[in-house]
Formats: sequence, structure tokens, C-alpha cells
Amino acid sequence: MTAQILIDGLIAGSMIGLGAIGVTLTYSILRFANFAHGDMISWGAYFAYAASALLGLASTSLTTPIAPFSFGWSLPLATVVAVVLTAALALLVDAVLFGPLRARRSAVIILVMASFGAALTLRSLLEFIFTAQPAYFTDELQIAIRLGGGMRATPDQLLTLALAVVVVTAVHLMLTRTAIGRSMRAVSENPQLSGVVGIDVRSVVRIVWVLGAALACVAGVMAGLLVQIRPQMGLDLLLPLFAAAILGGIGSVPGAMIAGLIVGLAEAVAVQTIGAEWRASVAFLILVAILILRPQGLFGRAA
Amino acid sequence: MTRAPALTTSALVSGYDRDLPIIRGVDLKVSEGEFVVLLGPNGAGKSTLVKTIAGLVPVHSGSVALRGEDITAAPAHWKVRHGLAFVPQTENIFGTLTIHENLQIAANILPKDGRAGRIAAQYAMFPDLGLRPGQRAGALSGGQRQMLAVARALVVQPSVLILDEPSAGLSPKIVGEVFQRLKAINSTGVTIVLVEQNVRAALAVADRAIILVEGKVAHEGEAATLAGDPIVAELYLGARHSAATPVVSAP
Repeated sequence: MTAQILIDGLIAGSMIGLGAIGVTLTYSILRFANFAHGDMISWGAYFAYAASALLGLASTSLTTPIAPFSFGWSLPLATVVAVVLTAALALLVDAVLFGPLRARRSAVIILVMASFGAALTLRSLLEFIFTAQPAYFTDELQIAIRLGGGMRATPDQLLTLALAVVVVTAVHLMLTRTAIGRSMRAVSENPQLSGVVGIDVRSVVRIVWVLGAALACVAGVMAGLLVQIRPQMGLDLLLPLFAAAILGGIGSVPGAMIAGLIVGLAEAVAVQTIGAEWRASVAFLILVAILILRPQGLFGRAA
Repeated sequence: MTRAPALTTSALVSGYDRDLPIIRGVDLKVSEGEFVVLLGPNGAGKSTLVKTIAGLVPVHSGSVALRGEDITAAPAHWKVRHGLAFVPQTENIFGTLTIHENLQIAANILPKDGRAGRIAAQYAMFPDLGLRPGQRAGALSGGQRQMLAVARALVVQPSVLILDEPSAGLSPKIVGEVFQRLKAINSTGVTIVLVEQNVRAALAVADRAIILVEGKVAHEGEAATLAGDPIVAELYLGARHSAATPVVSAP
């Protein structure tokens, strides 16, 4: 074991954590496990990829790397565009699929199966439009910086870690300190009473979709920047996302982030000690263990 | 004395299941400033009636009007924004939120500059709540929960306040206190519709009583008169235990 595991784990964990926040919010407010959330991550990455390419065509100066990072201004700008587009996609899926099912008071299993269908459709569409070939935001190579203690990380990796911390803090403050956050917690506890006290539950549901999709998009851009962009990238993250959301306790934003880091670190340890082919099984083991030992998660309230 | 109608229903039919109406043609007329108690045996549909009015149970036919305006199809959150506040019987507060957050959520539909004042007014009316505003509401006692639920409903200064058995599960001493509070609220001009099992206590504070049986209005009259009515006494006030189907006439 080396100290490098810590860096690898934290970086993978921050992406898992951002995705898991979206899963935990939709789970606690819409009351179903949304398996299409992974594909929101992929779509977010591809939206940013397409927007970044278009911006690069408009002006080559936008693709000149901003030292010390590997990308130019086109990527942050494209991420803003992609966040808006991913949120719009989530609202569209809700309007045509989940909304009508909710209106019909469909059973949870129907919503879950519908999300499977949405996941397959969204992924196939990506393969159709962009092919299954991996894509990259940038061709620039990056040299890792020595951080001391035998740890190294690229500037891109450090930036994504910092961004994850900022985003999670912002979402946590929004949930605990603002009126919108209070409304979301209220709907999560009791949707019927929420209506009675004057909360428009449908608008809260829309906010949850927008927020979850925006976080998924940011996670997708990070994964695309640090690894590569593939239509399968969200699917590969799905199991770790759910492991983190459940480990953290459904509905808990700090829980999802901390659990995401735990899952990321556990994966990094497994890769170093057992072998990379066992990476995916770690999330599965964590998921099974938490469901048996502490189903309410680390920060969840007991049912 | 004729007062403007605060809340009316006409030929109201409602229920969770389309094929199984629970409320079967109710005409209700509650005037501005009136204190009305809804009585009736278990399963008569008292809770379903008030939940229908609050927008939580689907209306099959008929209509509901608030101060003359038709609100039959309006969603629950719209109704409270237009002056109709409802306190459900159970799960009527957000247990995971603090006392203060429960009141803030209710105040959110008010103009920004009026919110703090309305919350402060509730703390003045219910001093117990003001002692620990940061406490999780789930940790409150039964009586304090009801106080918070009522305070939450009053934050928005409703014109009509509907309560579904606020005395359920409370000790007689606390019930008396809750009812005195309701009487005080009513005296400030708020119209009150109260669903109650606790008949004697309710008739003592209400102006008028409506008795619901099998989803229909079976009897109605002045609270004082009903309290002394031998038929009502026999059927609902426990003068004689009887399981017979109520045969009651209009007053």
C-alpha cells in the first residue's frame, strides 16, 4: 500500500460522491431508485464535449490550455452550457416518462423499471450519435506534481477535487439554509403535508431533477477530463453511486459525499492490493454489507 | 343575523376510490367567523370530508367554495395560499425539521417582510414553542405537536381554519387547553371547522354542530341546543350505549 492510494481514491470518490448526491435526492423525494442517473452523467459529459468542440470551432484561442491545466476556456464555458442541457434533458424525461407514471400513482417497481428503460434508451442514443469510441476533452499531456509523502496528482485532478468540495458545500448550504432546501426536506418527509402547508410539490420535484442532473453533469465532465468520455461511463459508475447513496443514508447530502469518498478509497485499495479487475466488486460488497448491517446508512434516520 | 358564507360545499361526493364514494352528497354552509364542529360515529366520513375540502381527497362530483370562489379543483398548496388552512389529525408537523423551520416553511407563502412578524406572533401565542425554536419537532410531546401544528396553520393568517381531531391522543387537561386556544383564535375572526370525537368538550366551545352519518349530513343545529337534545344525547353523547342505526330528523 502506498500513499498514492489516498489520492486515487479521493479523486474517484469525489466523482462518485457528486453522482450519489443526485441519486440520494431523487430517491428521497421521488421515492424510487433512478437507474437512469448514470446516463445523465454520460449525457452531461457528451453535452460538454459537443459544446466545447463547437466553441473551439468558433475561436481557437478558447482551446489554448490555461496553465497549469490541460484544457482551455472552452471547457468551463461548455460545462455551463452542458449543465443547462442536462437539466433540460432530465426535465424532459420526467415530463414524458416519470411524471405520467406518478400521476397514475404507479407502484415503485414500475418507476424503477421505467428508469431502466430510460437508461437503455439514453445510452443507445449516445452510441448512435457519438459512436462507442472513447472521446477526450483535450489531447494535452499533463505531468503529475509531487505532493510529498510519495503522493502525486495532476493539476486537473487537484482542480476536480477542489471543485467537488465547493459544489458539495454549496448544495449542503442550500439544503440546510434556504427556503428551497427546507421545502425539499419537507417534501422528502411528507409530500401530502407539504401541499397542505403551501409548498408546490411539483415545482420542488422539478428543482430536484435540475439539481440532480446538474451534479451528474459536473461528475461526467470530471470523469471525462480525468479518464475518458464513453457512452458506458455512467453505467460503470452506477453501482458505486448506489453504494455511496445507501451507505451515506438516503437523503443525506454530506452522507452521500463522504460515502462516495469511502467507496472511492475502498476501490483504490482493492486495485492496489488485489487487482484492477476486482474494482467493481468492491462497491457491490459495500452495498451488500451496508444493507445487512445498517440499512439506514451512516447518516440516515432509522425507518 | 346573516353573515357571508366562508366555506360551502354543495352535493359533494368524494372518496379515494372512484367506485367507492365515502362522502355521499354533503351540503355544508359555514359563515364567516363561525365555529362549527363536525361530529359523527367512527367511519362517518368526517376526516374524509375535511380532507376533501383541503384538496387531499379526489372530488367525484359537487363543489367546494371558499368565500364564494369555486375551489373544487384547486390543489392543496393553492388553497392555503388563499386563506384555507388545514391541520391533519396525524403527521401534521415535519418531525425532521426544527420548530422554527416548521413555522418558516408555512410563512414562506407570505410576502418576505411579513414572515418574521407572523412567526414571532405564534411564539407569543404559544410560548412553549418559543423556548426552544431550534429543537427538532419530532422530539416534542403530543400536546406540543398539536400546538405547533395549529401555530403552523395560523402563521398565514387564514380566514378559515380546519382541524381534524386536534384532541386525539391528548390528556383531558391538554384538550381543554387546546379548545380554549381555538376559542380565542375564533374570537379574532377566524372561521373554524373542527372534527371531533370529544363531543362534550367540542359542543361547549362551538357555535354550531353538524352530525355526519354514513357520508351524509344527518343532523345539524346550535351547539347548545344539540348538547341538550335527547336524540343526539342518546346517539352521540353516551347517554345510553346503543349500536342501532341512527334515525334522526332535520332540526
